[in-house]
Amino acid sequence: MASVPLLSVSGLVKRYGALLVTDDVSLTLAPGEALGILGPNGAGKTTLFNLIAGTVAPSAGTIMFAGADVTTLRARERCRRGIARSFQIPHPFVGMTIYENVLTGAAFGRGLTERAAQDRCIDVLERTGLIRKANALAGDLTLLERKRLELARALATEPSLLLLDEIAGGLTEAECQSLIGTIRDVRATGVSIIWIEHVVHALLAVVDRMTVLDFGRKIAEGDPQAIMASPEVASIYMGLEDHGGAHG
Amino acid sequence: MAPHVKIERGTRTSRIAGRLALVLLAALAAAPWWTGRANLRLLGEFYTFVALASLWNLLAGYAGLVSVGQQAFVGFGGYVLFAAAMFYGVPPLLAIVLAGVVGALIALPMAPLLFRLHGAYFAIGTWVAAEVFRLSFAQVSVLGGGSGTSLPARLVTGIAATRDQRDMLLYWCALALGLGTVAMIYALLRSRAGLALAAIRDSEIASESLGIDIFRTKLAIYVATAAVTSMVGALIFLQKLRISPDAAFSVNDWTAYVIFIVVIGGIGTIEGPIVGAIVFFLLRETLADLGTIYLVILGMVAIAVMLKAPRGLWGSFSHRTGIVLFPLRRRVVHPDAR
Ligand SMILES: Nc1ncnc2c1ncn2[C@@H]1O[C@H](COP(=O)(O)OP(=O)(O)O)[C@@H](O)[C@H]1O
Ligand SMILES: [Mg+2]
Repeated sequence: MASVPLLSVSGLVKRYGALLVTDDVSLTLAPGEALGILGPNGAGKTTLFNLIAGTVAPSAGTIMFAGADVTTLRARERCRRGIARSFQIPHPFVGMTIYENVLTGAAFGRGLTERAAQDRCIDVLERTGLIRKANALAGDLTLLERKRLELARALATEPSLLLLDEIAGGLTEAECQSLIGTIRDVRATGVSIIWIEHVVHALLAVVDRMTVLDFGRKIAEGDPQAIMASPEVASIYMGLEDHGGAHG
Repeated sequence: MAPHVKIERGTRTSRIAGRLALVLLAALAAAPWWTGRANLRLLGEFYTFVALASLWNLLAGYAGLVSVGQQAFVGFGGYVLFAAAMFYGVPPLLAIVLAGVVGALIALPMAPLLFRLHGAYFAIGTWVAAEVFRLSFAQVSVLGGGSGTSLPARLVTGIAATRDQRDMLLYWCALALGLGTVAMIYALLRSRAGLALAAIRDSEIASESLGIDIFRTKLAIYVATAAVTSMVGALIFLQKLRISPDAAFSVNDWTAYVIFIVVIGGIGTIEGPIVGAIVFFLLRETLADLGTIYLVILGMVAIAVMLKAPRGLWGSFSHRTGIVLFPLRRRVVHPDAR
């Protein structure tokens, strides 16, 4: 890749006791690029996001982001620098409205005052199709709305890197299509994306490149079509695409 | 971009309530002219309990810091006032402010130690800290050691010349402190800090990944609460004109009754501690002559409320009717938003 990478992970290892969950993973992401991550349940995909976002500390390895070593930074500091994520299991602030959820992202992730954050939040709600529900309590949402809220809250922090963890999981085909549209729009604004997903056609509609994880190891990486045709993926994914909404 | 967007904070009910509150407040401020000394003292004490309960509610109900050791700051504030007035000639009313500053300074190094403990361990830790305060002040012989001390007469007359003037002045101090505490908490919960507290309460992991500094948020709440609790403590012992370690660091008076008030009224609401304090004072004034039976009745009331209305009296009322006197919500006014 010609340009300086936005994200560069090298030799990343995570152990939980004797369990090796992330096994010497290295990957790079160019500015504006979208990378898909495939892998069976328990492969260590969410853990990789936890490591990149700073939610958990690695046992070894380094994480460079936007030219700086962020390996020892806390999650909130990485967010301030432009890394935002959605959670596989949505974590809405259930006692707040949708607007207040998004405002929290803009106010703290970007350090904006409420006034300054206001227009940005409305813009994010419009882009993510949540404006009609702006005043609804986050505890009263449908699954699709909760997934959209995860996306909206992350976008409100104005990230340069967006980590999406099985955000299309459990949605109907129509819901999935509309979400793909929203994510493509986000991409078009120049945000880099890493997207973990079992719903392969959703990934194929968005990403430039695909990585496959299995037992914490990177076992394949490259052009999405080539990856889908590779024997590694075929062996892991036999049958998985049928229940594409499976949770990990 | 949406140009016409407005964010609404109040409700119709809250605006009407706000106007009524101003009338009530004017009446309370004029109390020295329409009621006697005994009632004035009772009201003054009531305001200090509204303040203590509101502060504990902020700590436990909003910041998730369930302390049973806030008597550490009540007593500390009281002792700071006595020491400042007796040894440094600080005017007692100014010493109330000083107690707040010193209370914050002592809370600052305590917080990181206590925050290592979680849940029940945090609660026990705060209690142990308060006991350390009590035992330490019992060693200070210039402040009367274990038996305590009275404020010298010259300092008492220094507050105001006559007893009536003193009662009035202390009454207004209590009103200002009670009102100021509720107002401060309301403003805080409506601000960015309130947003952070609500977020942390719902999901620490999501809060952290959205840029919220959980430690600093809780630290700020703990220290601010300690500062104002110290001021209230200073005023309480200025009202009493006498202080002793057992009275100053009483877990019964400054924590057990306060938790009773908050739980009865409704934890996690601004109105709850006020409603709870009214109920507590009504019970106390009508039943206190019964002695031990009074405590049994308090316990029974607490159990009944917890079983029948676990959100507390105000919490249950508000949940059923949707009425909120101190609204925190932000309502988006937008053509597409309902
Ligand atoms: N906090 C943790 N403690 C112990 N084991 C964990 C923890 N988090 C994840 N794991 C384990 O790590 C493995 C990978 O989990 P995860 O990253 O969630 O996988 P995926 O997202 O690919 O389904 C699983 O075996 C899981 O049980
Ligand atoms: Mg996962």
